[in-house]
Amino acid sequence: MADPKKARPPFSPWDRRELPGAFTVEETAKRVGHYKWIEMRLFEALGGWVATVPELDVKMRLGTHCYHHAWHAELWHKRLPELREMNPDRLTQPANDEIVAFIDAMTEPEAPELTIEKLVGVYRVLIPHKIAAYTYHLNNTSTITDAPTIRSLDFALRDEFEDWRDGEMLIQSLIETPAEVDRAAVHQVRLEKLMLAAGGIAGPGSIGGEQGAPAGEPTEVSA
Amino acid sequence: MKRAWSADELARDGRFVRIEFMARAKDPRPLPSEQGGRRAPLTPDRPGAPEQARSLMHGIFTGEIQALEGAGRTCWDFPVGNGPDDAPFELKLDMARQCWDEARHCEISVKLGDWMGTEIGEFAESAFLYEAACNPDPVLRLTGVNRALEGLAIDVFNTMRDFGEVSGDPILEFCEDWMLADEVTHVKMGSDWLRRMTADDPERRERALEFQRVVDKLFSIGGIRGEDEDSPIKLARRFRELAGFADEEIDEIAQLSHEARQELLTQRRRTVEAQAS
Repeated sequence: MADPKKARPPFSPWDRRELPGAFTVEETAKRVGHYKWIEMRLFEALGGWVATVPELDVKMRLGTHCYHHAWHAELWHKRLPELREMNPDRLTQPANDEIVAFIDAMTEPEAPELTIEKLVGVYRVLIPHKIAAYTYHLNNTSTITDAPTIRSLDFALRDEFEDWRDGEMLIQSLIETPAEVDRAAVHQVRLEKLMLAAGGIAGPGSIGGEQGAPAGEPTEVSA
Repeated sequence: MKRAWSADELARDGRFVRIEFMARAKDPRPLPSEQGGRRAPLTPDRPGAPEQARSLMHGIFTGEIQALEGAGRTCWDFPVGNGPDDAPFELKLDMARQCWDEARHCEISVKLGDWMGTEIGEFAESAFLYEAACNPDPVLRLTGVNRALEGLAIDVFNTMRDFGEVSGDPILEFCEDWMLADEVTHVKMGSDWLRRMTADDPERRERALEFQRVVDKLFSIGGIRGEDEDSPIKLARRFRELAGFADEEIDEIAQLSHEARQELLTQRRRTVEAQAS
């Protein structure tokens, strides 16, 4: 056994975590509030749609995914007080009016014949944008100071990737004619334009490079 | 998507056939469990037992679909808040969790139905569970669904688990035991939310409990669920206690089931007399 008195470095040679990060506590709390808002709207919609889709496999998948996003909302809800927001409802807000318009349009389809539109809105538009915003956040926050957010992002992203794949496979299995390809594409384009106007699930800067968000360079922190 | 989705609008594929719940109870023919004019617990040695078990499993399957749909609608139908028409955030999280559980139960039931030799659509579906999930008051909805109907599910799963055990079917016994664990959780959710949301509103609590009584009586299925020796579905006292039921509440359900049994027998006697005359 090695000498227990021997001095070892606090960070092992393979541990490359660094202090600098692109987000302040306040910026992180604001983003997390937007995440919680969007996860809530998503799990509510998935739950509501269960009764409206006749396809049994889709019905059961929506029920399963509904819980995934509710759990993400709960993770973000619990993170907010740790980011000095003692009233989580205050920051549980949409990033802007445009993201509200997006959610309104995404949750518009209700007839049993509109399963393709329901799935396209979630799995070809919203979830890819969530993956993008979460990944940007994951790759730009401080790997030491913001480790709790990183842990939640990791859990959420794992669900997002698996749900995305599930949803995409369901869509591909439902699309059987060129006309249905068009239906899916038309709906996707409409929603993508609304998401473009919103700037992403956390508003402009959801994946960096815009006003209201870090420019991409990590904040210098002297240790 | 609108708020409130009626039972008539529930989306199904072409295999499903919908009937009224009372159509079965009004049927003058004896239940399979009453061959020879006597009721008896569900045991494998009784004539018709396999068919009854398959019918019960199909009923569980359609009930699980509706439980999934009902929990999902509770996620959507109410805004988040603490007002009388709202649902607290944590309640919605519980309902989302229940969605996942019910989705798994659907998967389990499909596979068990296949295992037992039945297929989707072989038996008709009545939307009785979902109808209770349409109550516009979230407290009444949870009390009616989670305490009354999920409570019934505890009794049914316990009966099916026992049937699996005595008939030497470890797969049935195993799966029913897992679903039983989830149902206890769901009933406890109902008990907890009833107490929490009506802590300062005894009038609302009484309305919720009254709604539960109505649902419990209606879905005692002609008294088929009870504590008598010959009850085909046994009232599962121990699991109901785990789920937050007080002894007197369980006694009341037993009494409701007894009354429902007497009413059904009276109704059948009158039907037979009317046919004879």
